[in-house]
Amino acid sequence: MQQLTIFMDIESSRSYIDELYSPNQEKIMDALVTLKNSVIGSNRQKSSVIEQGIVPRLLQLMTDDCLDPNIRLEATITIGSLAKGTPENVASLVDQGTTIVLVELLKIVPTGTRLAEACLCALRSIFQQPPAPISALPADMRLLTRLTQIAREGSPTARACVVRILSIWCSGPIEQEALCAAGACAAVAALLASRGFSSPPLARALPALDLLAAMCFENANVSQVALNTRFGDKTIPELLTTLVSRDKPLAIAMGAARCLTFIHRAGALTADDTRVVFGALPCLARLCTKDMPEDIRATAAETLAYLAEVDTSLQRLAAISNHLMSSLADIVNCPSAAAKQGAFKCFASLGANDEDIRKRIIETHGLMVHVVNGMNNPEPSVRLAAVRCLHSLSRSVQQLRTTFQDHSVWRPLMQLLNDSPGTELLTVGSSTLCNLLLEFSPAKEPMLDQGAVEMLCNLTKRPEAALRLNGIWALMNMAFQAEQKVKQRILCCLGTEQMFRLLGDGDTRVIMKTLGLLRNLLSTRHHIDAIMAEYSSQVMQAVIVVLEGSYPAEVKEQALCILGNIGDGEKAKDLIMANEDVLRKLVDYLAHPESKLQEAALFVAGNLVWRGEAGAAARQARLADLGVLRALKLLRARHDAHHLHEKVKTALAQFNDFT
Amino acid sequence: MSFETSTNNGNNRPERRYYDRSKCDDLHISRTDMNMLIMNYLVTEGFKEAALKFQQEAGLQEPALCSSLDERIMIREAVQNGRIPEAISMVNALHPELLDNDRYLYFHLQQLQLLELIRGGRAEEALAFASATLAEAGANDRNALTELERSLALLAFPDPHTSPFADLLLPSHSQKIASELNAAILKMENQEYTNPKLCSLLRMILWSQSELDKHGVKYPKMTDLANATIEQPK
Repeated sequence: MQQLTIFMDIESSRSYIDELYSPNQEKIMDALVTLKNSVIGSNRQKSSVIEQGIVPRLLQLMTDDCLDPNIRLEATITIGSLAKGTPENVASLVDQGTTIVLVELLKIVPTGTRLAEACLCALRSIFQQPPAPISALPADMRLLTRLTQIAREGSPTARACVVRILSIWCSGPIEQEALCAAGACAAVAALLASRGFSSPPLARALPALDLLAAMCFENANVSQVALNTRFGDKTIPELLTTLVSRDKPLAIAMGAARCLTFIHRAGALTADDTRVVFGALPCLARLCTKDMPEDIRATAAETLAYLAEVDTSLQRLAAISNHLMSSLADIVNCPSAAAKQGAFKCFASLGANDEDIRKRIIETHGLMVHVVNGMNNPEPSVRLAAVRCLHSLSRSVQQLRTTFQDHSVWRPLMQLLNDSPGTELLTVGSSTLCNLLLEFSPAKEPMLDQGAVEMLCNLTKRPEAALRLNGIWALMNMAFQAEQKVKQRILCCLGTEQMFRLLGDGDTRVIMKTLGLLRNLLSTRHHIDAIMAEYSSQVMQAVIVVLEGSYPAEVKEQALCILGNIGDGEKAKDLIMANEDVLRKLVDYLAHPESKLQEAALFVAGNLVWRGEAGAAARQARLADLGVLRALKLLRARHDAHHLHEKVKTALAQFNDFT
Repeated sequence: MSFETSTNNGNNRPERRYYDRSKCDDLHISRTDMNMLIMNYLVTEGFKEAALKFQQEAGLQEPALCSSLDERIMIREAVQNGRIPEAISMVNALHPELLDNDRYLYFHLQQLQLLELIRGGRAEEALAFASATLAEAGANDRNALTELERSLALLAFPDPHTSPFADLLLPSHSQKIASELNAAILKMENQEYTNPKLCSLLRMILWSQSELDKHGVKYPKMTDLANATIEQPK
């Protein structure tokens, strides 16, 4: 018999392959078994027979229901073996329609049979080779119901295959909802249950956990269903809580904690739920410790980062003991990219909102060096995660003034931002830059040479609102108490045209920050004069546009403040005085019902009438003419403007010749 | 049992510092437990007739003979007798995914085939076989490559049985691979324990002893596992 020969070379394999086309079923069977035995274990043989065009014949043999069922079985098993070959082997199988044939077979073959099981094994092998042919499995309710039935009642192997396939297939909301409707939650619950204190069999429980996680991810509806699904007397959350305990295998605990995390983040469990606080959280912290395998630590850190991403109470809980911090610091040191990324993300989450935690993060482990190294890591995902970490830490004003000065983190950051970054990196990086620029000291001037201003100005032109906002906000921070040459550079680079565009931006925050930039530019006397000397018409126009347009009160307030700043400039005052339109508006705003606008208008008036300045008398006369004096008196009389009385009195006092 | 290292708590009665087997104690190891351990060993390792006879004689319940006991016995026999293609064929019929999932095991089986050829003095065939079949595994796995080299090195010696790698030609080697295969089959069948539980017991003894040694405790040590010889502490 051929299968007892020691090895097959290409020539002899031809002979039995020909027999596959024989009319004699016995010969076909023999040939199939020989073929199967030759390809199992050897990628070379798999590639060879695929090249010889065997796949279509095998698919034929699988689907022909006039043939001996054993032939169909052996053909399917052989396909299954080919699917365990190289990525090219699998791609070839998929291209030749194998996935579709397997799916069609699963629709009609009786579920308890070996043929069904072989189909599932083959399909699983195909799906495990990325990219999985997700589209070949339709979200067809009958098919999915069949599959979930197998997941509940089939043989151990069949059950494991189904959940593994579905866990990979479940890639978005459509699949999530379809699986939920087909009863997948109940099937998962059945696979997670176990007798007594033992662990459910790994081969089935692990893919079941992956499936549950994939179904619940960012899906409130499915997570809610999972919350209430029972097996026996235990709900899924109860089953999961059992599985996160210390005596369970690490991979199971990890999978269960991940499910609880996703269910919480999707909104079905609150942050103070015991299953989150005493279940998922401590488990994840434990899985980060030094004696755990690196891949578990990496996943645990990443999952913990997601768990604590937005909730301050969870951040505080996680950070409560120092051991997690030191575990994470150690994970950052691990060689793999996944580990570094997970640790940075976790630090970023923990330090997102709480100053105390931020301090501990930086102090305990001198993390900054790692962050800087992370920003230079060859892997893009690590670089992004390092920037996220930096972003969280940069929310600390104290750190900005101390640690960040020491480590000049802006250099690698600027490099990343200039290096055609993706949108995500650009968003978080520019937010970080924004924060760093709050403490823009002379030491950071080289940033200008690195093109910081140009980069930020370019950001303000992006279609994404978040990026425009970050750009203009960063420029605003940069201009705060900056030197004149910096201010000039900003104005010159941004250009008044772009500034006008930003003042008409769809996002109010962008308008606010643009006005904020103007305000910062127009501070310090001789800066005001210098800038207004060059840009007076554009600035005045900008202010008028805002004051006349239908902007919210807070936006108009900013415009008035700018006007007020201009009013402080020595020569610049005259520009306002020369503009009757603006002055009339000033009068209106002094009487505006909105208190903050009154106050802002008062600020402008106060600066214009200031007695100590040259030409005050003439200005006061002009303003009185236009009704400013009367408006001020009215303001003094108003009951609801009580808090402004001191300022009003001061302003009126300037008019001493007229009161 | 008490393994006290500190001084006694002040009692006048001398502390029982070690387990004295001659005294009756509250440790009870049941016969049933021992019978089940033996049964498990026989079934896992494939001693079917012995298992059935033992079951009869010991009056045990119908044992949980895994469905594959017969096959596993035949497979083990084939491996240990050098009939490798037959063994591979049987494994593939029983669990078609096994050897694809565990290429290292597949390599070991192929290696046994190679050794059969070498043992039979068929050097040319051995080389052809090695390059056609084994080279693939050797290319992908460093350990496999080393083992392949050792196997082929046998060909350099006029009498392989006296070479430094002669251990590969001993029956103990094919028994080792046969056990590896057996364990893999059991694992595939989702059996929790792929080694006999007796194995776990022995490991437990060794581990406990090494822990005690680490802490410098004096205790009666089992120095010979096969004979369960216990040496009193000095």
